[in-house]
Amino acid sequence: MPVLVVRVNGATHSIPYEPGPSLRDILDVTEYRVRSACHGIGACGLCRVCVIAGEAGEATQNERLHLLPALLSQGVRLACQIRPKQDLHVEILNPAPPSNWKSPPDATLLQGAHKRGAGDRWLPSGVRHPGGLAVDLGTTNLCLSLFDLARGKWLADRWGRNPQHRYGADVVTRLAAASGSPDAAQEMSRLVIAAIGEALLDIATREGFDLRRVACVTLVGNSAMLALLSGRNAELLLRPENWTRPVDCLPRDTSGWVAEWGIDSAAEVDVLAPLAGFVGSDLLAGLVATRFIEGASPALFIDFGTNSEIALWSGKELWVTAAAGGPAFESSGIGCGMPAEAGAVFRVEAQADGGLNYLIIGDDRARGVCGSGLVDLIARLIEVGRLTPVGRFVNGATGFAFSTGGTDLTLSKNDVDLMQRAKAAIGVGIRVLCSRAGVSVKELRRVCVAGAFGRYLDIASAQSIGLLPMVPPEKVELAGNTALAGCCDVMLSSLAAGRLDHLRSIARLLNLAQQPGFEELFMENLYLQPLRED
Amino acid sequence: MINPEMNKLVETLLEGDHAAALAEARRLRTAGMASERIVTEGLEAAMQRLDDKCTVESFNLLEIMLAGRAVSAVVNELYPEGMPPERGRDTFVIATLEGDIHDLGKNVTKMVLIGKGYRVVDLGKDCPVENLVNAVEREHAHAVLVSGLITPVIPQVRRVRPALAARGLGGVRVVAGGAALKQATAGELNVDYVAETAFDGARYLDSLARGAV
Repeated sequence: MPVLVVRVNGATHSIPYEPGPSLRDILDVTEYRVRSACHGIGACGLCRVCVIAGEAGEATQNERLHLLPALLSQGVRLACQIRPKQDLHVEILNPAPPSNWKSPPDATLLQGAHKRGAGDRWLPSGVRHPGGLAVDLGTTNLCLSLFDLARGKWLADRWGRNPQHRYGADVVTRLAAASGSPDAAQEMSRLVIAAIGEALLDIATREGFDLRRVACVTLVGNSAMLALLSGRNAELLLRPENWTRPVDCLPRDTSGWVAEWGIDSAAEVDVLAPLAGFVGSDLLAGLVATRFIEGASPALFIDFGTNSEIALWSGKELWVTAAAGGPAFESSGIGCGMPAEAGAVFRVEAQADGGLNYLIIGDDRARGVCGSGLVDLIARLIEVGRLTPVGRFVNGATGFAFSTGGTDLTLSKNDVDLMQRAKAAIGVGIRVLCSRAGVSVKELRRVCVAGAFGRYLDIASAQSIGLLPMVPPEKVELAGNTALAGCCDVMLSSLAAGRLDHLRSIARLLNLAQQPGFEELFMENLYLQPLRED
Repeated sequence: MINPEMNKLVETLLEGDHAAALAEARRLRTAGMASERIVTEGLEAAMQRLDDKCTVESFNLLEIMLAGRAVSAVVNELYPEGMPPERGRDTFVIATLEGDIHDLGKNVTKMVLIGKGYRVVDLGKDCPVENLVNAVEREHAHAVLVSGLITPVIPQVRRVRPALAARGLGGVRVVAGGAALKQATAGELNVDYVAETAFDGARYLDSLARGAV
């Protein structure tokens, strides 16, 4: 992979990249964005960089329009007009102001969302070239996609942290805070609405998009996120008897949101209702996006997150459950953890000499380990015998210290424990759904892995610690953010919306904690070993 | 100080190897050791070590559960009819109250208490306060332990002491624990003690048994 060396604000960073996109697009997924205001079409002339070494190709007509010959001869170029193919060393002359919002690492996060067919949706009159915004409200991250509705054409993506984080990393803590205090409930709703507004503003300024063109906003999320957004019934979601029943989480009035976002005043805001108290519309959207019940069966779907949702399609029945395993997959609460973004160790490979090699996302400096890196690291430590399947370091060690990308990191026993608890919840979910549907784990013909966690996941590592069933790797689909992809589908197509309704009507819910033998099964799945198959 | 005869039992319990622990307990008994000594000098020593290890966070959930399962297996072997109340140690009633079905924390606490030689009556999860009070009366319990992971269970916790008092059981201590409850004070929950961990709760009950509180 060629390497991009970027100098910005006096520091130098090395970023391996896949050739294809423009320099601006490559930088957009990193921490080092260049200023821009025209969606990268060479119209605004803001994205100035200076080529220090390497081949950047001939200057385009747009560049000659914006840059004087003297600047061009010094190596000054527009990042959106350069498509690097080899190693390139540049300095960012005009860095973008700091933002909480970034482009997702690549299109796989959206699993084909960009290729959705033309819409068959009713379009409002009076708005020319109407746009539609799809939003996935996750416990940890918010992800958005903007489309041209008339042409079904993708325009922009953004993702950023869910600002409700300050009220707790998991849904139960946030729901408890909301049901205990009307002020907290109101603030949590306000925070998310404001965050969506910020993301829209980032798109508007950077892509040169008039927000008044946005004619509809479709939102999916887990039930807790929808209840906290709408400010309704958070307290009901805390009661186990409501977990397998529908709970009304829909907002009563969204005109204030529309005004705050500065979108078309007649815009329609469509919050897709959750399936039940503990299974959100994000899961339903994911099943739509993966054509789950139209593909090979028996099939398993796992949306990894703080509250993971799992579905099993036997070919006749659709069983659904939720496994609250904690935020370990998003690497939250992990001492050396960080989200899957630039600077995260995402892969750990064994080397011939017995050492370990660490791969870092979009940077040569490590800041922490993301979920997939954690899975790899644990799997490698077990392989080399430094960690036991019980989760104990050998020789009484309390952790594993390592150094990579100029940073000293330690994987503690507590970190491993958090991953064990999270993966045990998934293991129990898989085993219980399979046994209910009368399917043996080894019969599975399709395994869909959804969520940002799956993007960098090494399937063999995940299987070796029991996070995924032992099926041939080609049967595992790393599907990315299927919740957002399905939300886009439903926004753009009434056919997809109809499929979602159908899934809602046939899904059968299971509460794992009420299954007989839950505790034994949970304990068995705490071991870091392959999932049992019978 | 661990009785050297107990070394192997303590070690197998801490390893969570319940088959080996069971075999060792049988061997000790065949060799003539009284069940009571196996509990007080073996199981309690293992629990003390586990407590020390948990304090420094070097035991994970699986290890605690494995050790707990091994302790339970040994207790069941020594006292197949259940621990006799006349052993002189206190009896406690433990439950996850109505509205909550998370009982992992409760089960860990139960294992710790059994390991310390107490008699524990487990009423399971989603347990009405009424059943709790009936059990206290029936079993002559010295204390009740209630666990709650989720906050909606708090009103039920507050009802426990008045319900006990209404039956003339006002002297029975109430201990609360679990994610939702440990964030509140004893006063807010109307209980005698809020335990930070299973071991913290057990230490409080130890001090009760010694008459220190």
